[in-house]
Amino acid sequence: MDEELLQITEALLTATPEPLTQVKFNQSLERDDVRLSDVVAALKLLFKEQQRPVDIMPLAGGYQLVTRAEYQPYLRRLLRRAGPLSLSRAALETLAVVAYRQPVTRAELDQVRGVKCESVLRTLLEKTLVTVKGRDEGIGRPLLYGTTKEFLQAFGLNNLGDLPRLREVEEIMGAEPPPPLVDHAAE
Amino acid sequence: MAYHVHLDNFEGPLDLLLYFIQRDKIDIYDIPIAHITAEYLGYLEVMEALNLSVAGEFILLAATLMRIKARMLLPRSRPADDPLIEDPRRELVQQLVEYRRFKAASEALGELAERRGARYPVGKDGASATNGASPADYLQDVSLFALMTVVREVLSKLPSRDPVVLRTEPVRLDDSIRKIRSTLASARQITLRELFVAAQQVQEVVVLFLAVLELARRGLLVFRQAAVFGEVTLQSAGEK
Repeated sequence: MDEELLQITEALLTATPEPLTQVKFNQSLERDDVRLSDVVAALKLLFKEQQRPVDIMPLAGGYQLVTRAEYQPYLRRLLRRAGPLSLSRAALETLAVVAYRQPVTRAELDQVRGVKCESVLRTLLEKTLVTVKGRDEGIGRPLLYGTTKEFLQAFGLNNLGDLPRLREVEEIMGAEPPPPLVDHAAE
Repeated sequence: MAYHVHLDNFEGPLDLLLYFIQRDKIDIYDIPIAHITAEYLGYLEVMEALNLSVAGEFILLAATLMRIKARMLLPRSRPADDPLIEDPRRELVQQLVEYRRFKAASEALGELAERRGARYPVGKDGASATNGASPADYLQDVSLFALMTVVREVLSKLPSRDPVVLRTEPVRLDDSIRKIRSTLASARQITLRELFVAAQQVQEVVVLFLAVLELARRGLLVFRQAAVFGEVTLQSAGEK
């Protein structure tokens, strides 16, 4: 890989905290024949060889230059912050339902959690983790909610397909196998 | 003096049921409804005793539990293993299973966020992204229901006492009228404000005022006011 291209890409990644996308990359290079993912792969290898403290992670459809996880204790002491986002359990639960069920109405959220989610939903909207995606065709045309690009960034996801699958989640959490409930209605 | 506690982001009724299920190692697909209902109602009582505003959702689930319990008690017209008879718990179980799945998902999301947080974006001012720690951060590992278990234990150990009944002396209109007349007889005049100084309760104030109006109606008392917005003075009607 072209040495200069690697350095330009590293410069772009270093100077832009927002994930670098192929489109922005093309704009900067004023050409569109270089695949960003290829350059990133080469850079990642280089960083590893040179034992650099940084790495490149795919994020929200682009790439971001980040420090390696093992330096977290030092950075945390220096920057004195609890974490990138502090969400209550209720907020995290609501966010999970939105993430997996989107687009979703507030009534559905209330139903799944068995609690009114209005104020929690407002918090999530304020933190721009959730946004209005449109209106349902049903009665009253309720608003439909979904997750944002900020959500992907905050949770280190490249796209929604990166969400842990619900079944896997259950296995990790040690829950029992799926229900032995027989669907009598089908008989 | 009552304290009214309102907890935002309150853990919901499904949370409470899952808490029992986990605590008592209950098979979620074969919930002993009578046992769970008793536990659940017991907690609602504690919540009420603590003046936690028991949200409508809690009441709704209480009703659902009792309905299921009643249906389980009904004699079945068909043999118990008849597949055509639907288990009354079915709908609730499905809701619980689904909710538990999302709870697990939210924990997984929390872990993702943590892992993400361990990798700091280069070129981003870390300080500007600082979030103020919220009270929820300090209480992360304590569930509300665990706290209530403790409170419940403490409450159950308290010696029970008969409620103390506080009696109030009824204030009578006649007495108030007599009191005003005797006051006016000795003091000749008194401001309306002074009349109320000794009043201890709302009831007393109200009755005193009624007495003043009654005396004025009977023509035994006149009001005087020296200036606009000035003090209102009471005098016996005979005096000038």
